[in-house]
Formats: sequence, structure tokens, C-alpha cells
Amino acid sequence: MDGSAATAGWLRRTWTRLNRPSARYSVLALGVVFFLAGIIFWGGFHTGLEMTNTLEFCTGCHEMRDTVYQEYKETIHYSNRTGVRAICSDCHVPREWGPKMIRKAQASLEVWGKLVGTIDTKEKFEARRMTLATHEWARMKASNSRECRNCHDFDAMSAELQKQTPYKKHMKAKEEGKTCIDCHKGIAHHLPKEYRDPDE
Amino acid sequence: MKTTPIRSLLSATVAASTLLAFAPTAQAVDAEAAQALARQNNCLKCHSVDKEKDAPSFKKVAAKYKGKADAEQKLIDHITSGNKVKFADGHEEEHKVIKTSPPKDMGQVKNLVQWILSQ
Repeated sequence: MDGSAATAGWLRRTWTRLNRPSARYSVLALGVVFFLAGIIFWGGFHTGLEMTNTLEFCTGCHEMRDTVYQEYKETIHYSNRTGVRAICSDCHVPREWGPKMIRKAQASLEVWGKLVGTIDTKEKFEARRMTLATHEWARMKASNSRECRNCHDFDAMSAELQKQTPYKKHMKAKEEGKTCIDCHKGIAHHLPKEYRDPDE
Repeated sequence: MKTTPIRSLLSATVAASTLLAFAPTAQAVDAEAAQALARQNNCLKCHSVDKEKDAPSFKKVAAKYKGKADAEQKLIDHITSGNKVKFADGHEEEHKVIKTSPPKDMGQVKNLVQWILSQ
């Protein structure tokens, strides 16, 4: 008997066993086992996913650590008066499950970029900064700056506590249906050198 | 000791080089770096090079300070101290403090001020 016939035989026997109704275990026992296995699988999956949302994971590669991470450390989203910190995933990964899964699937392309060294030097990163930033700005614009709005809200802005000029600009932006990223680009990273503000 | 023509020439060259090295020279303004810093700090949300917005244009600022010896220092203080500024409607608020990368790089601030004054 050759190898392919043996493999086919094993597959057939396994399928027959799986497909056969159990004569030994009750439906309740099988249900409990299935339920517990589901909890363990889901817990493991969720824990693994959350591990990829930590600052340590995001800055684990030199592509991020030597460039955008150094810039972010100089901004208010890293260090501020009240001690509230927004890490990479707070701005770049949706909290909601569906959009988060889509974003994580897209991020697998970034793993390919890592493997082929698309931005493995500072020079390469700078050459692609505008492209990368444009993609992220487009994503934020399409979601109405959803990740910004997890913390910031036009309606929560105080006319007494916010300076008059930015308050007026914010209320005007709200009326015009603008979204955070329309005006606030490059707040946690350097702007690409090719970028020009439409207000200039 | 008798001075030869070659020795004299060498001495003159050394003296000239020393003078050049320590002479105060006008540093050329890096316009691209200045504009990048202005953009990064959202200066251009309120200022423009030649248009009036919420704040005076850089051309107007340059004209105001033209010929004044303390112009550079005054503008440096203005954008690094967060002092109060008056708006057209009469209200006052603190001017934004310029942030550089690396932080507090006065060379970058000075270059920005020199670029504004050159408009």
C-alpha cells in the first residue's frame, strides 16, 4: 500500500468517527465540553489579539521604534499634565470588534512589508512617509475619526476652559460636518515633508 | 630671524583664517525647515505668509519689526513664552508655545523667526 492510499484511509476513518453520533456521551455532556472549549478558545484568541495592541508589541520592531515612536514620545498624547496616555492602538486600531478584525487583517500586509524590508531604514521610511500617512488619514476620515472620538467630543468642549480661538474653530468645524483628522494631522508624528496644509 | 616671503604668506593665511572663523557671520535661513516647523505647530492655521487671518501675516510682522535691533529676540520670546496676544475682536489669549523636535531646540526656533522676519 502506498503513502497516498494510507493517508486517504486515515482521513476516511477520522471523518467516519467524527460524523458518527455518539452512543457513549449525552448531549448535555457534549454541550458542556463544547461550551468550555469555546470559552478557552475565545479567551485565548482575545488574549492573543490584545497582546498585539500593546505599546511594547507596536514598538517591538525597529521600523516603528526608531521613527514614529520617538516622535510620539515628544507629544501630548504620550506625556501631559493629567497623566492620560493614548498608545498606538488607541489611535490606530478600532475598539469595535468588526472594524478591529478588518484592521487586523489589513495589518497582515504590514507583516509582509516587514519581511521584504519596505521601510527597514530611516531613509526608506522617510521616502514612504507621505504614502503611509495618507493611507492612515484616509482611514480616519472614512470612520469620521472614530478613534479620536473615543476620547474627544465636540459636545464635551467647554467654552470657558478652551481658548476662544480654537473653541470657535471647533464649533465651526462641527457645523460644517468636519472631522478631527481634517485639521489635526501630524499631532503624534512628524508631518511628511511633502504635506501642505489646505489653509496655508 | 629673517622673515622669508613664504613665511609671511603662511602667517597672513593663518591670520585671515582665524579672523574668518571667529567673525560673526549671518547664518543663511533654512526656509524649508522653518516652514516645516510652522506647519508642524499649526502656525499656519492662524497666520499666513501674505494673507490676513485670525493673526497678522508674516509679511506684516516682518514690516513691523523691520530695522529694529531687538526684533529677533522679541519674536523668539513671543513664540516661546506663551504671552498674551490681542485679537481683532479685542479678546486676549495666550499665544501657542512652539515645540521642536528634539524639544527646546533654540536653533530651530531662531531659524523660524529669521524666516518670518525675511518675508
